[in-house]
Amino acid sequence: MILNNIEVMFGGQAGDGSLTTGDLIAGVFKRMGLEVYTYKDFPSRIRGGHTNYVIRAGTTPNYGMADFVDCLVAFDLEAVQIHIEEMRPGGFIIFDNTSETIPAELRRDDINWYEIPIGKIAKEDLGLELVRNTISLGVIAALIGMDPQIVRRDVTNVYKRKGEKVVDINIRAIEAGEKYIHEHYASTPSGYSLSADRVDGDRLIMMGNDAIAYGSLVGGCRFMAGYPITPATDVLEWMAKYLPQYGGAVVQAEDELAAVNMIIGAAFTGVRSMTATSGPGLSLMTEGIGLASSLEIPIVIVECARAGPSTGLPTKTEQSNLQHIIFGGHGEFPKIVLAPGTVEESFYMAIDAQNLAEKYQMPVFILSEQALCQSKATLPRLSFEAVEVDRGKLITDPVVFGEYRRFAFTEDHVSPRVIPGTEGGMHLAPGSEHNDGGVITENAKNRKRMMEKRMGKMETARPDLPKAKLFATPGARVGIIGYGSNRGPIAEAQDRLNKMGELVNFLQLKTLWPFPDDDVKAFLEANDEVYIVENTYTGQLGRLIRHVVGPIDKLHDVRKYNGRPFRPIEIIDAVRTGSAVSLAGV
Amino acid sequence: MALVMSPKDFATATPSWWCPGCGDFGVLASLKSACAELALNPKDVAFVSGIGCSGKISGYLHSYAFHGVHGRALPVATAVKVANNHLTVIAAGGDGDGFAIGAGHFLHAVRRNPNITYIVMDNQTYGLTKGQSSPTSDLGYVTGTSPGGNPDAPLNGMAVALAAGGTFIARGFSAQPKKLVELIKAAIEHPGFSVVEVMSPCVTYNKHNTFAWFKENVFDVTQIEGYDNTNKQHAFEALTADGKIPLGIIYQTQRAAFDDLVLGDTPPLISADVYDTGRFHGIQDAYR
Repeated sequence: MILNNIEVMFGGQAGDGSLTTGDLIAGVFKRMGLEVYTYKDFPSRIRGGHTNYVIRAGTTPNYGMADFVDCLVAFDLEAVQIHIEEMRPGGFIIFDNTSETIPAELRRDDINWYEIPIGKIAKEDLGLELVRNTISLGVIAALIGMDPQIVRRDVTNVYKRKGEKVVDINIRAIEAGEKYIHEHYASTPSGYSLSADRVDGDRLIMMGNDAIAYGSLVGGCRFMAGYPITPATDVLEWMAKYLPQYGGAVVQAEDELAAVNMIIGAAFTGVRSMTATSGPGLSLMTEGIGLASSLEIPIVIVECARAGPSTGLPTKTEQSNLQHIIFGGHGEFPKIVLAPGTVEESFYMAIDAQNLAEKYQMPVFILSEQALCQSKATLPRLSFEAVEVDRGKLITDPVVFGEYRRFAFTEDHVSPRVIPGTEGGMHLAPGSEHNDGGVITENAKNRKRMMEKRMGKMETARPDLPKAKLFATPGARVGIIGYGSNRGPIAEAQDRLNKMGELVNFLQLKTLWPFPDDDVKAFLEANDEVYIVENTYTGQLGRLIRHVVGPIDKLHDVRKYNGRPFRPIEIIDAVRTGSAVSLAGV
Repeated sequence: MALVMSPKDFATATPSWWCPGCGDFGVLASLKSACAELALNPKDVAFVSGIGCSGKISGYLHSYAFHGVHGRALPVATAVKVANNHLTVIAAGGDGDGFAIGAGHFLHAVRRNPNITYIVMDNQTYGLTKGQSSPTSDLGYVTGTSPGGNPDAPLNGMAVALAAGGTFIARGFSAQPKKLVELIKAAIEHPGFSVVEVMSPCVTYNKHNTFAWFKENVFDVTQIEGYDNTNKQHAFEALTADGKIPLGIIYQTQRAAFDDLVLGDTPPLISADVYDTGRFHGIQDAYR
């Protein structure tokens, strides 16, 4: 059987160029008309240490990893040692045997081995060891029948910035890789042959973080402050490049305490503002987020979750900041938490976040995860038709001093908002409890009313928030709930379970706070067994669901907390086993 | 058209929560006078404060006032200026706010040099939590948290500011309102980060650094023979010499302001168009 989808993994040492080659091959797959998803699994260091980059391609959209690796490009023995067990039976390993050989005990005879002196070819035939990545691309291209013209065009495009010489040597590297396969092996012997039944057209390939940044710009964000932190830094860098071109500004703050207070300051002044961080930074921002909420200042916080606690696994994925985001901070205050499940959703949700923050005058979180925010995926061209910037109750005309009340009690609990420079709107915005005019007061009646006003805004906002998405299967009485990066593996597991005759529904949560009680209740009523899939140890999403529906027997927990995203087979196994708790991952 | 303003135009209806006789009254009065004499319009003044007795001051100045969390007045104020550089931005806080919990931001504001003014109301104690030692308390100061005497040497905030690249460093005394008004006016007019440390005695908890003590222990820096406040060495010697406390504009110089560097020719961020989203359509072409 010839397979028309593939998961390619480049494995080697950090800094050896496999990321560039991985991006290159992802681009080639895209231009062949295939659907692509990439996943970076790299160490928290710049040079050295095992790193791998996974590129998945096929004819149907994939938003996550496959069950197995089909093709491992191993630049050293360590890559084989680490990943040999992840190989699909029938898959193949391209191994650079220039200085190492595969020991007998590591060999599996259910996979094909291509042991090629890639380093030697690079050094002796081409005179540049660095191009062994590109040679490996030529090897893969020959083995799985990639369009040679697209390969050459993409290589040219990627390297043309570095000059003709660099382009030339990389083209020769591709040819050397192809030639080696043609001379030593029969044509496309790998068992894989990739082709698409569509053309690339005007599709895009974009990283989750870029989509969030791009959406934020479109959504009207004109100020960003942040402190570099993996895996969120891309957002800050994207904004630093683009915001100044459109009348905005970016500040690299001295720490996350400053970053969150800076966006509060800019938002108080009337500029749509955001920051992007990960767990450790979020811990430092938590006090400021409570301040923004009590002062009813619109800010957007992008949280690109990684594995904690403390420094944890800085470059690996986890969903363990969910409860911190929802419940973190002293006191009780309103906030909105949105979770995109794909790169495309990341873009549109970032626009929503900017509008929601200003309409309801509260902090809005965009919760992404390393497995989504640093992953690339193919997506249709982005549409701007439905995009609208809604500034809510922002007042730009003069108001009458003394009559105007910044924190006025209103029917929908949202008060008309002025910004500095507005005639007559002078007031104090204090983090201390205050009356409707902003005067600090400890009055009991006022306190009760103010709490009800602020918290009431969450109910006002609720109908405006992204609805959970139901992927329904007619006749199914088994359901899976998840959010974020798990959208991909769950949807894929659902599809395969359906094909096996085990029908399942899938509910993807998009708003996590205020918690979508009604969506979840309806889903639980419609299903006899429900599996909650999440990347946590303690089952944080499961707890939120049980808080709504109680500790009912039909709930099953499927958890993975080794820092790696789910593979679909792990979810399929959990559903087929039917255990109350399934723990996935080694 | 220049406005004619009086200090009363900067008053709020909110009664003060400070103790009778507090040095902070002098700071507030001088601040109002300075704003009036500069003919500022309250609608164009953003006034940011932190937490503590000093932090209350934002409630008493008629302006767009912001009373944030402890120690973070400067990041808020810096961003207000970047967001709308037409505003006059003033931050105020105490010795705890500026030199303890917010010390990091103080250093970075000094080195960034945003065009804002920072008033540190230094009473050398933590008043609002009932008299514990602060970063500027004397060694040996006996308090509830230091019953055996404060073991920490006091921080010389203005010397730190000088070392960190400060462009306007001044010190005043809340019982010398006329001089303080002039210092604050000069600070607001300074193109860059201006810090004014105001010795502002706590009449309730600090029984050592009292009004009477300060009157005996301060002097005007201009009394130093040949003093040149554009000379960094002179300033450093004045700030670090043992003995009496120098007041006045200790040091001033000029270099590019942070907001000018960040913004370049960009108009105030608040005037950036947010509605015309169609112009972003082409960005995605880079992802083809």
